[in-house]
Amino acid sequence: MATLTLTVNGKPVSAQAEANTLLVEFLRETLGLTGTHVGCDTSQCGACVVHLDGLAVKSCTMLALQAEGTEVTTIEGLAPPGSLHPMQVAFHQNHGLQCGFCTPGMVMASVALVTDNPNPSEPEVRQGLAGNLCRCTGYQNIVKSVIAGARAMER
Amino acid sequence: MAVPGIGDAVSRTEDQRFLTGRGNYVDDITLEGQVYALVLRSPEAHARIVSIDVSEALALSGVLLIVTGEDWQREGFGHIPTKSAVRTNRDGSPIAEPPRHCLAMDRVRFVGEPVALVVAETAEVAASALALIEVDYESLPAVVDPVAALADGAPQLWDDIPNNLCADFELGDAAATDAAFAEADHVIAIDIANNRVTAVPIEPRGAIARYDADSDSFELYNATQNVHANRDTFAEQVLGIDKRKLRQIAPDVGGGFGVKNGVYPEPALILYAARQLRRPVKWINTRSESFLADTHGREQISKVELALRADGTFLALRTTTTGNIGAFCWTVGPFTPTGGSARTQGGPYAIGAMHYQAKAVFTNTQPLDPYRGAGRPEASFQIERVIELAARELGFDPVELRRKNLIPRAALPLRTPMGLEVDCGDFPQVFERTLAMSDRGGFAERVAASRARGRLRGFAIAPYLECTGGAPNEYAGITFTADGLIELAVGSQSTGMGHETSMPQILAARLGVPLEDIRYVQGDTDATPIGGGHGGSRNLEVGGNAVAQAADEVIDKGKAIAAHLFGTPLDRVSFEDGRFLVPQTNHVLTMPEVAVASLDPGRLPEDLQPGCLNTGSTFARSAIVVPNGCHAAEVEVDPQTGIIEIVGYWVVDDFGTIVNPLLCDGQVMGGIAQGIGQALLEHAVYDADSGQLLTATLLDYALPRAGDIPDMAIEYYEGAPTEKNPLGVKGAGEAGCCGAPPAVVNAVLDAIKESGVTNIDMPLKPEKVWRAIEDARRAG
Repeated sequence: MATLTLTVNGKPVSAQAEANTLLVEFLRETLGLTGTHVGCDTSQCGACVVHLDGLAVKSCTMLALQAEGTEVTTIEGLAPPGSLHPMQVAFHQNHGLQCGFCTPGMVMASVALVTDNPNPSEPEVRQGLAGNLCRCTGYQNIVKSVIAGARAMER
Repeated sequence: MAVPGIGDAVSRTEDQRFLTGRGNYVDDITLEGQVYALVLRSPEAHARIVSIDVSEALALSGVLLIVTGEDWQREGFGHIPTKSAVRTNRDGSPIAEPPRHCLAMDRVRFVGEPVALVVAETAEVAASALALIEVDYESLPAVVDPVAALADGAPQLWDDIPNNLCADFELGDAAATDAAFAEADHVIAIDIANNRVTAVPIEPRGAIARYDADSDSFELYNATQNVHANRDTFAEQVLGIDKRKLRQIAPDVGGGFGVKNGVYPEPALILYAARQLRRPVKWINTRSESFLADTHGREQISKVELALRADGTFLALRTTTTGNIGAFCWTVGPFTPTGGSARTQGGPYAIGAMHYQAKAVFTNTQPLDPYRGAGRPEASFQIERVIELAARELGFDPVELRRKNLIPRAALPLRTPMGLEVDCGDFPQVFERTLAMSDRGGFAERVAASRARGRLRGFAIAPYLECTGGAPNEYAGITFTADGLIELAVGSQSTGMGHETSMPQILAARLGVPLEDIRYVQGDTDATPIGGGHGGSRNLEVGGNAVAQAADEVIDKGKAIAAHLFGTPLDRVSFEDGRFLVPQTNHVLTMPEVAVASLDPGRLPEDLQPGCLNTGSTFARSAIVVPNGCHAAEVEVDPQTGIIEIVGYWVVDDFGTIVNPLLCDGQVMGGIAQGIGQALLEHAVYDADSGQLLTATLLDYALPRAGDIPDMAIEYYEGAPTEKNPLGVKGAGEAGCCGAPPAVVNAVLDAIKESGVTNIDMPLKPEKVWRAIEDARRAG
């Protein structure tokens, strides 16, 4: 056990973590932030994507202790309580989600994608989301959502 | 707050919680004092269990309970029954239904079969304990291929089931079919394989069981598609408890596609463990475990024969197929390759005689159960592949050959030679609209442009005929609460399809109230007396009509209240646009006003009690409905690499009335993506010698990614709402899976037709396509 100190969704957090605890486990089990999901065990699905110092990371691919001193944003902290980030609004308006399980990771990956490339083309969105699996939507409305979300984020 | 109508593209209510991380999936639930269960699964495809030694594992600190097949047998628990609608062989004898226990008893028959359950204080301790259980297996020969399994001398899974034959099925008129073949000018035959795939909902299966000793009752939170039927089986057939003592709740479920519909052993095991330990027990599959623990789908090896007249008229169809069902019958496994594929044989074409023969066969593989479409995608693939070959071999234009043989509108209603009642539709119009969307006029130019870049371009069109299925009854309950809300509870349940929006949309449109006034309840055996779960594209058809029926009953009761309040005879009260009124008077009451009155004894007639507006209504399907439509795909193939790109995709669907086009598009898109996945990428592969699943992680099993699926242009034909149900809906969930595989595969074969290649089995991976072209080139 070691003490892990970091910022999660804008709030300072200090908690114990085992050396082998994954960041996703720390977020879900220690902090109770269950919006970040686990859909696989080979880092393929992307349901666990969070922002770490502004970059999209799969929180199943790093140990919690590696996040020492970082700023982590999860889906719960993407927008202030009671409001939605423009990307969340775009997913809603464009039916970019069905079962919702891949959605938190998909939205977090999309926000990072657009932060990096504010005006992505359709192929760039498809390429940029290659690390996020969705089994419900066929991706078409996700791509549409991301392009709409990018426009909204510009404004 | 606007009142939605049927046909409005209402965006979803449930999105709010899913988009903000407030969804509530099973793994998000933590119960006070919960402990963790893991399943020890067989590493052997076929073996005798000589002994199981759990002593070292039990001695590990934190281990609470280990259950083996011997323990299960000692408790006297029952096996999980099969509920296949096909129960007899062609000779009238019963199909073979070997017992499926929750844990292997003396023999394992597939890699992944549950052998023991371990429960520990933490998941880590449970995992360590799993590794300490010593099972002595005596390996037996295994067989994974269904055709090989039928042969004399093949390894036998069950001592009393010769040649591993579960079911020997036929449908149609063999004599009439033979006669038509004898008189035909042409007979075209094709051997095809429909690849084994698996559903891979992104949320793995999992459950939490809680036992309350004081009331001797259970609660089960389960990632299932079917709370009522599973509850009944766990309680009555397996554990031998009163089903009223078991409440099953499906919280948010992260995708299902059929694979969460069946009855699995793990929830029964943890119910038992929770009672033994008096503590809540949680079990969550890992993804890799899911490949070994979730049922698979498809896998048929078929010969399809089409008899034609010289002018291309279809005369008869004969399909002979072998379906792999894995090591057990599972929940309804034998039905898929038999009845499930039989009903829609021949698709939307006029074919005078048909005969369908199927053998469902046991092998040492993960059992197969319904996966989105469950037999109908296989049937669609069978007819479309043989038609494509017929066009090629006989020199017909594939589009013309199909157009010529479509059932004309005037011929409906009809009963197909497979016994399917096709009541309405306009197959030619749907076909022509799809063709028009795909810009055939510009095709030659696009082919030339592709060729200039070293690419081969191909096109295919694939009309399909589908039918709904699943439980025939569904319940909707409407309760008016004192806080002005209308609670709507339906026995079916969403695993992503959006019932929380579409079902209230039907009620809101019927009653003339805004969606915000409706609270939706689903996935809870305590909330509705019956429920049929989700399967067979049944929700809108059966559940949606239950809502409409219940709403109409509310309106009838509301009229009685309004008549009392107006002081007019009942027959003068009408209901229009959400208002009870007496025409040509100023008597008007809104639905919410009548709802408030219904809770006030002072405002009710003497024969009505407060709460009288509340209604529970069961809709019973009179006949399955027949969704249909047409897909078309244009592809580019790079002959140097075999890489395929789908450059155009068009579909026109006839689902009858469209309740919510936004959600309906989502169903079509998702179904097509799974169909494209099957056509180009996905394959659950077993090693023929060891019986090991070679594609047991997402590193090995190719799930489509965003770059693999094209944009699809989707339109609906709404000119033929069915009269089989009041809403006129036909079911939309599985159609995409039926049209996409033949459209894509035939388009690829069209692109490479100059090579002479006439068949490549799915999935059409680049290597396979490249090899087929190269082999054909070398063969000259």
